Amino acid sequence: MWDYISYLVMVPMVYVAFTTLILGIIFKVYTVYKSPSIPARLGVYPQDDITPVGIIKDSLFWPVALKKSPLLWGFLMVFHLAIVFLIIGHMELISDFRVLQIIPHDVFLGAGALGMILIVSTLYFLFRRFRSPFREISIPEDYLLLIILFFSILFGTIFHMSARYGSYSELVKISAGDFREYFMGLITFKPVLSYKLALAPHFIVLVLHVFFSNLFIILFPFSKMIHSLFIFFAISLKRK
Amino acid sequence: MENQKIEEFKQLIKSRLNKPMRYYLDVCTRCGLCYDTCHAYYGIPKKEYSPVNRAEVVRKIYKKYFRPSGKFFPYWSDATEIDDNVMEQVYEAAFSCTGCRRCMMFCPFGVDMPHILSIAKLLLIANETAPEELVMLADGAVEKGKSIDLFKEGYRNVIKDLETEVQKKLNLPSSENLIPMEKKGANILYVGLSGANSIVHPAVIFNSAKEDWTLSYFEAVNFGAFVGDPEKMQFIANRIIKEAKELGVKEVVIVECGTAFRIMKHMMGELPFKVSSIVEVIHRYIRDGRIKIREGSIKEAVTYHDPCQLGRNSGVFDEPRYVLKKLAGDFREMTPTRELNWCCGGGGGLVALDNEEFRIKSGKAKKDQIVAAGASVVVSACENCILQLNTINQGYGLGVEVKSLSELVSENILTGA
Ligand code: SF4
Ligand code: SF4
Repeated sequence: MWDYISYLVMVPMVYVAFTTLILGIIFKVYTVYKSPSIPARLGVYPQDDITPVGIIKDSLFWPVALKKSPLLWGFLMVFHLAIVFLIIGHMELISDFRVLQIIPHDVFLGAGALGMILIVSTLYFLFRRFRSPFREISIPEDYLLLIILFFSILFGTIFHMSARYGSYSELVKISAGDFREYFMGLITFKPVLSYKLALAPHFIVLVLHVFFSNLFIILFPFSKMIHSLFIFFAISLKRK
Repeated sequence: MENQKIEEFKQLIKSRLNKPMRYYLDVCTRCGLCYDTCHAYYGIPKKEYSPVNRAEVVRKIYKKYFRPSGKFFPYWSDATEIDDNVMEQVYEAAFSCTGCRRCMMFCPFGVDMPHILSIAKLLLIANETAPEELVMLADGAVEKGKSIDLFKEGYRNVIKDLETEVQKKLNLPSSENLIPMEKKGANILYVGLSGANSIVHPAVIFNSAKEDWTLSYFEAVNFGAFVGDPEKMQFIANRIIKEAKELGVKEVVIVECGTAFRIMKHMMGELPFKVSSIVEVIHRYIRDGRIKIREGSIKEAVTYHDPCQLGRNSGVFDEPRYVLKKLAGDFREMTPTRELNWCCGGGGGLVALDNEEFRIKSGKAKKDQIVAAGASVVVSACENCILQLNTINQGYGLGVEVKSLSELVSENILTGA
């Protein structure tokens, strides 16, 4: 039974998640593309930098948020940067990208620290919504997404740290190579869930990590997570 | 609510799902950074007056009818069906918002609240709960556009009286042609309001500058925009565009009315003439020496209230300051100022509604700014703002003098220069 569930999460659900993500984003962009434009200019003034550089600056560095709440901005910045590094880290589990090795490192650059940072910042985002006035404007989606993300990061970090720092025999200790085999199998549509992976200590933690990540990925295009894409469009209207 | 009505509401929402609307409805993370940036919230700290909450009222309805999650799992986004109670919230959200877009300056995504609230206003019109005053004023303006010939004679007589006033102010021997009308090929078509001051003061300025100008038959104010009816808004603005095209003028100059200026300048697409605010024109005349004013003649401390639609939403910041710094020896900025200036609370047609108590309370931010600036003359360049500043002045017993920029300039113009 457990084998069956873990296989479901580690293989079919991953396919479902990424298919939903890709089709969902295409659907969202298509819906916008099909919606009518309006002749009005919706910008605010003064418009100091209306070039793509200005739009990218506002979209990636949120100077407006920095001015209004440096503390929140700090957490947001650290959080998003950590996400970027973790995406890079996961890409290195797929294959060994030379460019990423300019600074030679073991896979997962932060060696667990990034996970910790994410745990703390996710908790910060969650806890700030527990009190007024943010409690009043929050809706279940805001909490649920953070909780899903929190579990995904928590289990991912536990798994990574225990694999990295746990004193296991080399026989059962899993390496980047074992993941590459798993990911390559998924990418080439010949999925394998090797015994080594399945018998690794804390395999259940890995399954939980993948489960919550899948869930998050499925919800991504249909929730407020789409802000990561739409921010560029919305900001370009502000500067038009 | 009957299904048929709900269907009608759904169609209306759909009609507003343009590109910007899609971004604004989806992009907000409810980070709360805009929470306390609305003057209404500053004056009355209730979540109903926070920008994000106003948007959420609309967003929850949108999700209910246009998102699978809203249909099948409404808990997720707190999606709500439309009923009378919800429509009351919609009213509260839409007609306590002046459309100032100050909140947009603090939103990392630049979510445009008034754009979202245009859905709310449309629903209220369909529900027949939009403010009657605004609906009637918009209908009146549309009617005038349809049958302008009936109005022309009467209007010309009114203008004759105003010409005499201008004559007195300028010490001229004759009042003939001081407010020209229907002048083909003029440089400027000036669009005023119904109040005499909105015509007399600019007429004094135009005549002093020896401008080749003509007065529009229409008022600039756009009640179609205030009530939130996009068709009426277009029609009301198009009356003026049609007139300008028929006369073949080079420039349309809009009275001190922020919304009318923004609509003409930014919302009507490309136009075959230049669009300016009277404030920009006054600045131009003084800068180029076409009119002379008594410099430094105002001894009291003067401050300037940036009308939101003129400043933040249209970019006219420096021109009024240039003029005021010439007129006043002691010019003081409000804090915060320019694009972050607090809205006075009168925009969006709110001054036309029976809501004085609310406007006094929501004008608290402005009151605090005026007091902090320590000025005894408050100048602005928008009829709505002037009315609201007067309400604040009286409501809080500030004892300041509220003036419009064109009035101040016309009073201090050096005639015969
Ligand atoms: S600042 Fe923008 S994103 Fe944040 S709650 Fe307000 S509207 Fe939403
Ligand atoms: S546009 Fe102005 S009045 Fe409306 S919610 Fe934003 S700050 Fe408040």
